Amino acid sequence: MRAEPGPGLEVGHPHPPRALPPVPSATQDDIPLSRPKKKKPRTKNPPASLEGLAQTAARRPSESSEAPIKELQEHPEAPVQRRQKKTRLPLELDTSFTQKKTSSSSLLRNENGIDAEPDEEAVVQKPRRKTKKAQPVEVQYANELGVEDEDVITDEQSPPEQPSVFTAPTGISQPVGKVFVEKSRRFQAADRSVLIKTTENLDMSMDMKPSWTTRDVALSVHRTFRMIGLFSHGFLAGCAVWNIVVIYVLAGDQLSNLSNLLQQYKTLAYPFQSLLYLLLALSTVSAFDRIDFAKTLVAIRNFFALDPTALASFLYFTALTLSLSQQMTSDRIHLYTPSSVNGSLWAAGVEEQTLHPWIVVNLVVTLLVGLSWIFLSYRPGMDLSEELMFSSDVEEYPDKDTGIKASS
Amino acid sequence: MLQTNNYSLVLALQFLLLSYDLFVNSFSELLRMAPVIQLVLFIIQDIAVLFNIIIIFLMFFNTFVFQAGLVSLLFRKFKGTIILTAVYLAFSISLHVWIMNLRWKDSNSFVWTDGLQTLFVFQRLAAVLYCYFYKRTAVRLGDPRFYQDSLWLRKEFMQVRR
Repeated sequence: MRAEPGPGLEVGHPHPPRALPPVPSATQDDIPLSRPKKKKPRTKNPPASLEGLAQTAARRPSESSEAPIKELQEHPEAPVQRRQKKTRLPLELDTSFTQKKTSSSSLLRNENGIDAEPDEEAVVQKPRRKTKKAQPVEVQYANELGVEDEDVITDEQSPPEQPSVFTAPTGISQPVGKVFVEKSRRFQAADRSVLIKTTENLDMSMDMKPSWTTRDVALSVHRTFRMIGLFSHGFLAGCAVWNIVVIYVLAGDQLSNLSNLLQQYKTLAYPFQSLLYLLLALSTVSAFDRIDFAKTLVAIRNFFALDPTALASFLYFTALTLSLSQQMTSDRIHLYTPSSVNGSLWAAGVEEQTLHPWIVVNLVVTLLVGLSWIFLSYRPGMDLSEELMFSSDVEEYPDKDTGIKASS
Repeated sequence: MLQTNNYSLVLALQFLLLSYDLFVNSFSELLRMAPVIQLVLFIIQDIAVLFNIIIIFLMFFNTFVFQAGLVSLLFRKFKGTIILTAVYLAFSISLHVWIMNLRWKDSNSFVWTDGLQTLFVFQRLAAVLYCYFYKRTAVRLGDPRFYQDSLWLRKEFMQVRR
């Protein structure tokens, strides 16, 4: 709903259904406007058309803001034209709809060289359809309705020259007192202030919604898990150290008092094994997250480059495997009964054979976990998953993309 | 387009099921006062994994990529998750059947053999990998690019066609 009283941009190539008013300025001749011409640069060179589109899109706001001042200076006697402007408005309004919508929606369709003509026609036929996809465009119009009264120009306007590579009919925005809204195929004048109120309400409700997108939810969950992981790294290292200290203290000097260790430790063995698995699983997943383990090549490259985080993930996984391999021994300790008891799993002399490797494995697990913690704390902020997952995937395959462009 | 509330709800459910899985893997060996307790825990655990598989596939079906017919693209992106989840479910069911079979008469007996120990290690390792890949996929499916036409999708489509 943009009020554009000014130039009849398509004067050189009028549309069949509606005749356009004459051009008030000669500068419009430079702008190629007809649709058949518009297709050429897009189909031949898609990237160029995209750039052109971006240029015009970027240029338009500044031009439209400068235009009224410039035109005031050039045409001080303009009030005569006011009536004519009102009669011309509907047509310009219509074209401004088409150009806005096509510029926003056909951006992606054109980049692969796909013909955008059917889309444009569809948009022309249904300029006022309020779908969800059209909401950003509507918001833009709503913003443009909020014009101060001093800016409303009643003079004759001659739009400045528009050096446009892109051939969409780019009219120059110029506020008038009324806004013309299409109702049942006819444009009717509506009061600007009423429309501003309604669109502001719409604006408010739309501003609330996109403030928290699914991506934000995913990102916050990811960061929460990273925080949990950070906690588990430290807690695991502390637990493992405490465990190995307890084992060595209970085992006595030179591991001479193993039966005492078994008797004291049997209630602790299985709960600690379970806790160790829980913490190791959390820490391993967290470390994998940090190196983005799913991208195996990157992870392996980082590992061979002796990246501390990649090393920590490897050490955690090794510790997890070692710890799990002691499940049988842990259960055996859990079910400990002295060898004198009937049906005991611990025959005389077996204690040393079983417990020595178990203690060594526990020591190694403690060392691995401690080392991993140190490695991770060397670069605590590193998180490749967040960088790779939530950044643009378009950059994932730069070589292939250039290959496609070259072949097409 | 995926609604934020719906996605939050689904993500919460997925994480709840993952947490339950992790909890049972960690503490099921402790909770064996009666064999039926373990049996119930294991059954719920396997159903939870199945539920998670169903949820992730429903999320796949909801994406624009899938609705546009680019199933192979989705499979290529998430094949690690799909394969690992299937493998993990297979490991889990077989381990649970084996352990319950051995412990049904006496839940506090020593049942470990080398084979069981090996299966146990593989199942627990697969559980960690499943947790990582599943979590990553669930978080990744919150990316709005999977739910709309985009430059990225068109480039991916070009690669698939080649």
